[in-house]
Parts: sequence; structure tokens; C-alpha cells
Amino acid sequence: MIPVKGGYAVDVPIINVSERARREHASVWSTFKAFAVTLRHLFKSLFKGDTPTIYYPEETRPYSERFRGTHILTVRDDGSLKCVACYMCATICPAECIYIEAGEHPNPEIEKFPERFDIDMMRCIYCGFCVDACPEEAIIMSREHHQSVYTRGETIYGIEKLMARPGIDAKGPGYRPNRALAEAKIFNKKDQSVCVFPSVVDERHPAVLYESMIRRRGSEQS
Amino acid sequence: MPKLTINGQTYDAEKGKTIIQVADEVGIEIPRYCYHPDIGVEGSCRMCLVEVKGSPKLMPSCATPIAEGMEVRTTTERVHEAVRYAMEFLLLHHPIDCPVCDQSGECWLQDYYMAHAGHDSRYPLGQKTRRLKAFSLGPLVKLDQERCILCTRCVRFTRNVTKTNEIQVFSRGHYSEIGIFEDRPLDNAYSGNVVDVCPVGALTSADFRFKVRVWFLKGTPSVCGGCSTGCNNRIDHSARPEGGGIPGYSAGDGKIYRTVGRRNVEVNKSWLCDEGRLSFHALERWPRLRAGNTSVPAVHERFEAIRKEYGDFAVAGLASATNTNEAMFLMKKYFKGNVDFRLGKEEQLYQERQDDLLRRFDKHPNTRGALDLGLTAFNGLRGLRERAEKQQVRGAWISFHPQLVGDDAPEIIDELRRLLAALEFSVVSTTHDFEWVARASAVLPMAAWSEEVGTYTNYAGRVQITNRAVMPPGEAHHLHHMMAELLFLSGVPTPHEPAAIFEALSREVPAYDGLDYDAIGLLGAAALPQPVEVTR
Repeated sequence: MIPVKGGYAVDVPIINVSERARREHASVWSTFKAFAVTLRHLFKSLFKGDTPTIYYPEETRPYSERFRGTHILTVRDDGSLKCVACYMCATICPAECIYIEAGEHPNPEIEKFPERFDIDMMRCIYCGFCVDACPEEAIIMSREHHQSVYTRGETIYGIEKLMARPGIDAKGPGYRPNRALAEAKIFNKKDQSVCVFPSVVDERHPAVLYESMIRRRGSEQS
Repeated sequence: MPKLTINGQTYDAEKGKTIIQVADEVGIEIPRYCYHPDIGVEGSCRMCLVEVKGSPKLMPSCATPIAEGMEVRTTTERVHEAVRYAMEFLLLHHPIDCPVCDQSGECWLQDYYMAHAGHDSRYPLGQKTRRLKAFSLGPLVKLDQERCILCTRCVRFTRNVTKTNEIQVFSRGHYSEIGIFEDRPLDNAYSGNVVDVCPVGALTSADFRFKVRVWFLKGTPSVCGGCSTGCNNRIDHSARPEGGGIPGYSAGDGKIYRTVGRRNVEVNKSWLCDEGRLSFHALERWPRLRAGNTSVPAVHERFEAIRKEYGDFAVAGLASATNTNEAMFLMKKYFKGNVDFRLGKEEQLYQERQDDLLRRFDKHPNTRGALDLGLTAFNGLRGLRERAEKQQVRGAWISFHPQLVGDDAPEIIDELRRLLAALEFSVVSTTHDFEWVARASAVLPMAAWSEEVGTYTNYAGRVQITNRAVMPPGEAHHLHHMMAELLFLSGVPTPHEPAAIFEALSREVPAYDGLDYDAIGLLGAAALPQPVEVTR
């Protein structure tokens, strides 16, 4: 294999396929070679237990921490929904699969909460925009993706189904880009006694301080 | 006529105006919170500062009268800096709860922050002043003191416009806040307007609160159908199906969420009364009529048969003063002038004021239009019922639209029942499935207010266009479509388009001479004053 400059930006090795085919010309000897490979793998998997098969669904591959599976509605410490029914997720949703009905919360500090929060899982495209848009980290995604149901109606997940489902704890949360902000307690104004915005904005989520980003970018350019 | 220069361009302006008024007229945008053209000047927000040549300080343009040779600049660095600092002070204790705030999307704080400020807060969120939230000022208005910027628009509205003085500023300095006296809630007939004038989310409407986010809404300029004043409003309705087609939740035909005042100095300034503001809920009071039990050609056949046997005047029409001029004009043509519209004493009431601001006693929007068209063939509903009982009238088309404000008098419903019993053949075109409608020989569903395009003529003879915001439900049709079809069946080709019908109307009715939809536009046009003769 001689590296040839063939008009590419980098050097690309070029494989001469016809020459390689001549070398591997079929013969009786290469037949036995192939049997040897098969038998080697047979004994490996029989006695060493080195098998690539995953016994799904009892076993699964490890999923990425950013896996975008079924949504979860997160809760406050007292068990109530974090969601304030701001409709940001329903607004950004490109599949228009989120339906929210807001209600008046008895606590004027919270003021607004969702009376209904439905996601049409058949329409959802799992893009994760709703998670990006959420200003309270009230909606995140899990690593679960088992969604088989018996009727079509069950594919519309309501609040109860989105709040807590079996299997979530086992696999853990998935896509959760605003986690740092939630842990910095930016969302909870009661806990916040120091001005954390300017320090956080340097490496944190851009949507929160969009305007600061723009100004920073402007000053860098000038 | 003093001449003044704004941003290098010279304008002629009327004497006594302020800089901001001239700038508004010529389309130069000056940011403002406290200034509102209809409630007077306060000068408290410091957003409208401009640079005037020769004055050492920046001048508030809302309170500075123009003078000959004045040179105003609105875009200098000094002005920008002043506005930026004003914004930082206004937002210093702002709770930044835009996600739960109903105003977000149409909030002036958001708009001006993006346009003029763009700063990071220097104040920790946890140390911001906490005040009263979600406090009911009255049946229609909720107050959030944390979001308030103390522009006092609401205070001045109750002081200068309604003259009821319910809302006041209490305490002084940093402690000042908007509030009401304990025993005097904000419950005047125009309380909803304070929500419209509030530039931020401090005052929100209890009726509209949390129903929908405003960026999902589409605004259609229209005219209120609540009374004969004909206030200009904007109908905010759903713009697209919600919930991605989740069964049962899609707003296919559209849904009205609120109406807000639209500025028309000739009619209603910027205001709406609470009854009119909430009048769209009247359409949800009864189940809508979605399908009829006859067709327009079948109705035409029966009317023709009656006409052949008993003469032209055995067939009559009863219009409703909530129908558009176009529909009533075609109705008059089809029934050969044998049409009336009066259910009660509309022609005596339509100019009577209910209070000294907007409301009028006649709760129909188009009484004047019907009078201009001369729909006074017999003595109203009572006259028609008497004629039907004397067998002079045998077939009638009754178009009934319920009052949007208040209830129709029970006597009217009784008269309608008796009329239906006396008629040989009766067609009722109506909007809702009323219980008395079942007695009619035939029923046709009709589009209601906000579902059809047409013109209303208000008490003073101002012709204004009412627009379609939502689709009529089911098989409901516009009355002018049904009338145009009847006319077509009787051999008179008639346009279906409201604008084309109005063109024919303006040729035939002297009061509307020379008017068309372009001339009426968004703000309406005055019809020629005509002596209105009423027979009773």
C-alpha cells in the first residue's frame, strides 16, 4: 500500500483490490484455514465464555449518559412537580407532541403548575429540545426506551406516567444538559443568596444568559 | 405650526403637542412605560428621555411640549446610556419569573431589555425584595407587586378615565407599592382595561390567566358585538391546532381566548367595558347548532309556493341586529322589503348611554345599520307575530343571534314561540341549539359574531368591519351566503364575497354612498348622516 496523493487534503492509502484478490486465491488450503478460524471461535466461546451475544432484554448494552429516552418529570423535595407550566417545551417541540393545561397553584410563590401534561409518544421524535428549553429542569430524559403498549391511547403519557415509572431507577437519567444549573440552585431563588449568574455563565448553559453571550461575543470581535 | 427637527428630519407639528406625540405620528420609536396617549402624562419611568439642543439635561419627551426650532435627537449615546440605566433600576428587584408570568411574550420589560439594556443583574436573586404575589384586586384583575415598575398607568386610568380611584400608590420611596383600599375592590365596569394598559406582568386578567401563552395566539382586528357603541377590539384566538392532534384537544375550528381594546380615537379610545371584553364567552353558554334539518333550496321552494298562492307579502324576514349589513341587505332584497329586525325597542335605545364612557342600552351592534337599510316593514317581532296570527304572513325566515351581553328578554322568547306556532312555514337560522328552536318547521345553523366578515354601523353611523377570527362550527354558514344562494335560486345573481356585497349596497343605500372596504379600513368610516324614519 503506497500512500498516493490523489487530490485529497490528507494522504490516503489506496488499496489495490485486484492484487489482494489474487493473493487470497481460493484453494484447498484456504478452506482449512477458514475451518480453523471457525473452530477457534467455537472453543473460545464454549470454554472461555468469551461471547459477544447480549441476552436482550435481560442484558443490555451500557447506554450513554446522554441517552435520549422516555421523558421524566422531576419533582421538588416535597414530591410536587417542578414544572411551572411555562410552555417552553411545547413551544420548542418540533413534533408538537406536548399538551399542557396550566392551573393556579395555591402557593403564590409557585403560582402556576400543570393540571395536565401530556406527551404523545407516537409523535415524539426524541430530539431533546424540550429538555434544553426547560428553565426549571422539570423535564429530563431517561435511558429507558421500552414503550410497547396494548392500545394507542396508552401512548399518550400523562403526569403520573411521566413522574415515576418502574425501570427508571435501574437505568438512571439520560439527557440532562441543565444539571449543572440545577445543582448550582440557579432555578430556586429562595436558596440563592449570592449572585451566581455572572460566574456560571462562563461555562454553563448558553440559553440562560443568551444576552450576555451575545455581548461577550461582540466584545471579543471588536 | 411650529417646526421641529427630530434626528435631523424637520417636521411640522401642531402646537401644544409633546415630543413623544409627534414622534409617534411620524413613526419614530421612543421607549416608554408610563406614557399612554389616552390616560395622560406622568413622567415617572424615565425611559423616554431625549436630547434637546440647548438644554443641559435630557428631557422626558412625554412631558416636553414642542417649540419652534427645537432640535431633538433620540439616538445619541447619552440617550442610550440613560435608557440603559433606567432599565437597570426598573429591573433591579424584578423577580425574573417570566416562565410563570402571563405577560411574557408581550412584556415591555422583555422587549426593552433586549433592545436597550442587556445587562447582567448586579443584585443576587435571593436578596431581591419580596412582595405580594397573585393578589386579587377585583373580580377580573390580579396584582403581582414584585413585577410592578410603578409606572402608575393603572392608577391614572382609575383616576382620569373611570374616575373611580380604586387603585392607588401606597407608601413612599422604595416602599411604594400599588394597591387598593381594603373595602373598595377594583370592580368598576371598565376594570379589565388596567390589564391592557399595564406594560409589564403586574396586572393580569383573572379570566385569561394561565389559559394559553400569548405567542400561540393570533390577533384579528374586529369590532365588539356587545352593544351599539361598536368598540374596536382585537380578538386573540388559537392560531394552530394544539397538542399535536392529541384526541379531543385539538382546536380545529379555533378558539377565542380573549379580546383586548384596539385604539380608535373616534369610538372607544383604547378601552373596552368588562361586559364586552368577556362577551365572547356568551358563545359558549349554550351548545352550538352544528347541523340543520333542511337545505336552502328546499326553503326556497316552500317560499316560492307560498308566494304563488298568497302573494309576495305572505313571506317575510326577521333579521337580527347582530347580523351584518351585507346579510341584511341581501335579506331585504330576497324578501322584497318585507323585513324587520326589531325584537324590542332597539330603535329607541340604540343611542341611549348606559354610563358616560362607552356602554349603551341597546345590546345589538348593528341597529343603526338595519335602520339605515330601512328594515322597518312591520312593527318588529310583535308586528310579525300579529300578521302571522291574522294569516297575512304565512312563511318567514327568522334569523336569531343571542345577545352577547346580558340575556334576551323572556318576552322576546315568548313572542318567538307564539310566532313559530302561528306560522305555516318557518325557518330559523340561529347560532345555538335553543330549546324554542325545535318548534320551527326548519332550522339552519348560522355563523355567529367573530365567525363572519361584514360591516356593522354603530350608534353614530360609523361603518366598521368585523372580521372572522374562528371558523363557524359544523355546517353553520354565514347568513349572507345563505341569502345570496336564495337570491341566486330566484334568478338574481349575487356575489358571495362581503366586499362585493357591500359594493352593491353602497350603490343602492344613499347613506353608504362612496364607501368600500378599503375606505372603511381598520378604523371604520362615517356614513353620511341620513334622517332615519321609523314606523312603529
